[in-house]
Amino acid sequence: MSASPTGQRSGAIGVAVTWFERLVIVLFALLFANVIWGVVSRYVLGRQSPWTEELAVNLLLWVSMLGAALTYRERGHLGVDYLTEKLSPPARLVAAVTAEVAVLLFGGFAMMYGGGMLVAQTLEANQVSAATGWKTGYFYSAVPLSGVFFVLFAIEHLLKLIRPPKLESERKTDT
Amino acid sequence: MMTAPLILSLVFVGLLVLNTPVAVCIGLATVATIAALGDVPTGYLTAQRIASGISSFSLLAIPFFILAGILMGEGGMARRLMDFAFALVGRFRGGLAYVNTLTCMLFGAVSGSASAAVSSIGGFMIPEMVSKGYKREFAVALTTASATTGLLIPPSNIMIVYAVVAGNVSVVTLFFAGVVPGIMVGLAIMTVSLIVNLRSGMEASEKVPMAQVWCALRGALASVLLVVIVLGGILLGIFSATEASAIAVAYALVLGVGVYREVKLSDLPRILLRAAKTTSVVMLLVGTSQAMSWVLAYENIPQSVSNALLSISSDPWTILLLINVLLLLVGTVMDMTPAVLIFTPMLLPVVTGFGMDPTHFGIMMIANLCIGLCTPPVGTCLFVGCSIGGTTIARTTIPTIPYVFAMLVALILITYFPTFSLWLPRLLDL
Repeated sequence: MSASPTGQRSGAIGVAVTWFERLVIVLFALLFANVIWGVVSRYVLGRQSPWTEELAVNLLLWVSMLGAALTYRERGHLGVDYLTEKLSPPARLVAAVTAEVAVLLFGGFAMMYGGGMLVAQTLEANQVSAATGWKTGYFYSAVPLSGVFFVLFAIEHLLKLIRPPKLESERKTDT
Repeated sequence: MMTAPLILSLVFVGLLVLNTPVAVCIGLATVATIAALGDVPTGYLTAQRIASGISSFSLLAIPFFILAGILMGEGGMARRLMDFAFALVGRFRGGLAYVNTLTCMLFGAVSGSASAAVSSIGGFMIPEMVSKGYKREFAVALTTASATTGLLIPPSNIMIVYAVVAGNVSVVTLFFAGVVPGIMVGLAIMTVSLIVNLRSGMEASEKVPMAQVWCALRGALASVLLVVIVLGGILLGIFSATEASAIAVAYALVLGVGVYREVKLSDLPRILLRAAKTTSVVMLLVGTSQAMSWVLAYENIPQSVSNALLSISSDPWTILLLINVLLLLVGTVMDMTPAVLIFTPMLLPVVTGFGMDPTHFGIMMIANLCIGLCTPPVGTCLFVGCSIGGTTIARTTIPTIPYVFAMLVALILITYFPTFSLWLPRLLDL
């Protein structure tokens, strides 16, 4: 077993995924520490640090968005596979390709493009979050960033579907 | 204005049957519907609803309860709860069946996830039952049904999801409203086990010596204390439900790493990642559903659904029957979280229209969709149970039927007698 919690991967995407996973782990740990600090500060210091709630919901957005892209790469999202399993292999391939294209469209249009617009407009409006004083636009950038990875992983899935894997460039080493 | 619901449902169902992730089905159906509105920034609106839908302090409890559940399963708390349940009910004829249900109820009380309960408890309970002469398929069916009680017994993540989409419903009230119905479902399941045991002439388990009973009680005390801290702390206003979930993580961490030493510090990054991924599945669904409920409300779709239902009948009993049948059908193919997210905004206005308490409706909906988790063709708990138990869904179907029947009986009682759900919250002045 490797020392890394997320296993070793080869290839550019593999390395990116490993670092991406580490980022999610760190953000989640921060989220936990942050909420605990909220309670502790209220009872020990007598006054809750005002930024804890605001930081917490934004960390939740980051963990959820980035985690969602990673989970999609492992096909971990809920779906209804009852009907596609009954299809003939060629029809199943068409269904699988359509589903990946749907994710590509959603990730590209709603998350990357729409999320990008969201970030740009909130930055332009100079919206500042109340307690932390940070620009809200930066918090929202989790959405387009996750969108970029959704698109990348959708392309990766599509390539694997269209040309069956000849070279096992990487294999998931989950412990 | 019939085009909007048509576009929404066509895109959604079309993508769903192709096995597209449900969150993406909801997301793209929403995008298509918003785009059809005409001159609006579709991508911007969708992204904004997703981002603001996820950034909610109430939802923050979900990742923590998921994390606490994993820590409890790996940290040895699940096994200690089973020992405790064994000490309580293991002595009876066919006692292992009751031990199974009681353990699931206790574990569900601390973790709030049914799939986690099936894998954590089924992992050692199913082999144990098989070695004592139970049929493998029976053990799987029993564990699967029992595990769903944890969704009604607080704390429960699905209640947090319901509270967020329903609006105006308190998570704390829901938590306490679920206690009695959860115990009712558990008792209904145990009643079926009793009948099965009597008919198959199961041997009584060996007597448990008193010393061992005390030992099990002491061992489980720390795990049971977690429920007391979480619910007591919320009730007394010491911390919010979200903070309670983080406290539960801290407690499970201290117990699993520090006291029981069954989780190593080096395991934590892997556990955090697993919890983050499970969380993200729920959150992406919540985010896209919030975008969808916005477009639903914009197009007055809940109003149309309400009118359509009321045109069939204006009698509350009949409407509740129709809603339950609809949800049972939905539950056979769809997982609980998307079902709650999609149908709450459409159905809640109907029932509040004739004066039903939204808390009661939430409990009814969850009790209903629990049944779908145990039934083919798509039942998340059944899938996990079958893979843990090493059997097939086809072979598990027959022993599942009596348990589904028991859960249906409990559902009818929960639906038509609001007092089961509302008595405890009212007693506690919530």
